[in-house]
Amino acid sequence: MTAFPVADGRLTPDAIRSYAFPSSRFGRRGLDEGHVWEFCRLAEREIVRLLNERTSLADEVQRLRRRVLAGPAAGSGVRPDDGHAEAVAILSRAQQAADRYVADAQEYCRQLTDDARRLGDEILAEARSRAAVVLDEAHAEAGLAAGTGPGTPAAQDGSEPGELEAQLAYLRTFSDVYRTHLHAYLDRLLRNVEEWDRAEKETLTVVHADMSAPPDVPPLPPLPRIPQ
Amino acid sequence: MDTARLKENFAQVFMHGDEVALFFYSDLFLRHPELREMFPVAMSAQRDRLVQAIGKIVSGVGDLDQLTPYLRELGRDHRKFGTLPAHYQPLRASLLATLAYFSGEGWTPELAADWEEAYGQVSQIMLEAAAADEMVNPPFWDATVISHEMRTLDTAVIRVAPRQRLTYLPGQSVAIESELRPRIWRFYSIANPPREDATLDFHVRMIDGGELSMALTRRLTVGARLRLGPPVGTLTLDTASGRDVLLVAGSTGLAPLKAIAMQTAELADAPDVHLFVGARRAEGLYDLPDLEKLGALAPRLTVTPSVSDDPGYRGERGSLPDVVTRSGSWAGRDAYLAGPTPMVEGMAAQLAAQGVPPQQIHVEDFGWSEP
Repeated sequence: MTAFPVADGRLTPDAIRSYAFPSSRFGRRGLDEGHVWEFCRLAEREIVRLLNERTSLADEVQRLRRRVLAGPAAGSGVRPDDGHAEAVAILSRAQQAADRYVADAQEYCRQLTDDARRLGDEILAEARSRAAVVLDEAHAEAGLAAGTGPGTPAAQDGSEPGELEAQLAYLRTFSDVYRTHLHAYLDRLLRNVEEWDRAEKETLTVVHADMSAPPDVPPLPPLPRIPQ
Repeated sequence: MDTARLKENFAQVFMHGDEVALFFYSDLFLRHPELREMFPVAMSAQRDRLVQAIGKIVSGVGDLDQLTPYLRELGRDHRKFGTLPAHYQPLRASLLATLAYFSGEGWTPELAADWEEAYGQVSQIMLEAAAADEMVNPPFWDATVISHEMRTLDTAVIRVAPRQRLTYLPGQSVAIESELRPRIWRFYSIANPPREDATLDFHVRMIDGGELSMALTRRLTVGARLRLGPPVGTLTLDTASGRDVLLVAGSTGLAPLKAIAMQTAELADAPDVHLFVGARRAEGLYDLPDLEKLGALAPRLTVTPSVSDDPGYRGERGSLPDVVTRSGSWAGRDAYLAGPTPMVEGMAAQLAAQGVPPQQIHVEDFGWSEP
């Protein structure tokens, strides 16, 4: 077969334009007929190939257009939006993790304040009942000391010297007993508070490790006011 | 626009629950990272609000007139978050991408056009309202804390001075944001009628684990800066009714009702006002000295404190609805109720049973309950 100037076996526009057909053999005029026919067959094959390629490209365009219209979730295989959808998924998971951390911190905070509130209520309630007991005891002992019996503090107007002395003895004993009880009670309360303080500091150190702001903890309730 | 088709698509897409809003915000922040800082770190409450708002809009999309007041409010209110007209376009793109993603095979050019049209109408109403508001009001009011008192272990009374006067009606609320908790806004009622010096009082009760309330009660100091949103709320005095007034306040529900009580005292023809204020224990009556002063100054105001959970208390004891009900018949009065949801609901039911017509019962539901 005649060697035509083709690139990778394919006919190019340049080859057609610049191709020089050889002349016919000596004694005959014009171009070499066989050579021309062969060139035409080559051109025909090339056009058929191009037409086939065009058809399959049109099919591909149709297919892609359908896929784009159907949305990124439909179909399978490589989609232009795959990278974005993946990034959305990663960001979504990260956001959920952040939401969880914040919710956990809040829940922890809620428990802590809840506990503190309950503890405060308990201390207050105990202090109240304590105060009542201490008061009763002091009255009873003072009554005995004054020789008047329990429950009769020096309410009446003391005109007799004996009565005045009894009142004085009553008050002195009352305040002694009251003070002793109060001392013991406050000591115990203070120890509780120190323990609470220490426990809280230990917890806060742990919390500080992964939280920039420590949870707010309410201060201790005010000490109970003991009736005079 | 085919509203039936749009509603059906909405129902189908939002079957996927939280994933939908999660996708929406992730898509938005990936395309526009600069928008992320407009939102709080934790987003779950934000996602719930978004889904609720879209649900409300979609359910009313066929009747735009009925939806318009809500949308105008939404548009105005978004100014405090720093929302600009330019933000509406990225939101539209991410909304459509989200809908397309979750609709899968069902996503058609027609559906896309329906949503585009609906979004266009909604955003136009919101933008117009925001633009109109811009002529009159700042996006938010900068305010400085001028006093901060812890009245109980968990209740603070805060006074702030806004840099620019905030105009409101007694009983209304504003959203508050603190620099201690950026991007977290919570509504609080203003506890005073407008003053000459424009200062505002707030009663803040610490909710255990509450993101903002804990900061406002325990961490806020004098001099701290707050941002206040525009006034909202409909728990305001009907000055034209001519009826006497019953105010029932549980816990910090006192704030709006104190403002209303003070407002009635200033009226030329002051009505008879009975204010019931309840707490669980005596120490929870955090504003009593002030209320007593108020009662002494206003001859037609009666204040009755009550506690529900303190056997040693010498005044009125029992739940607020019980105390109010046994204290008299209120059928001829305008009733204003504020406080924890169970109290407000119980009180409204008892007043209705006493024959108070529903239109005379005004309610502000604080949406939280006692721990």
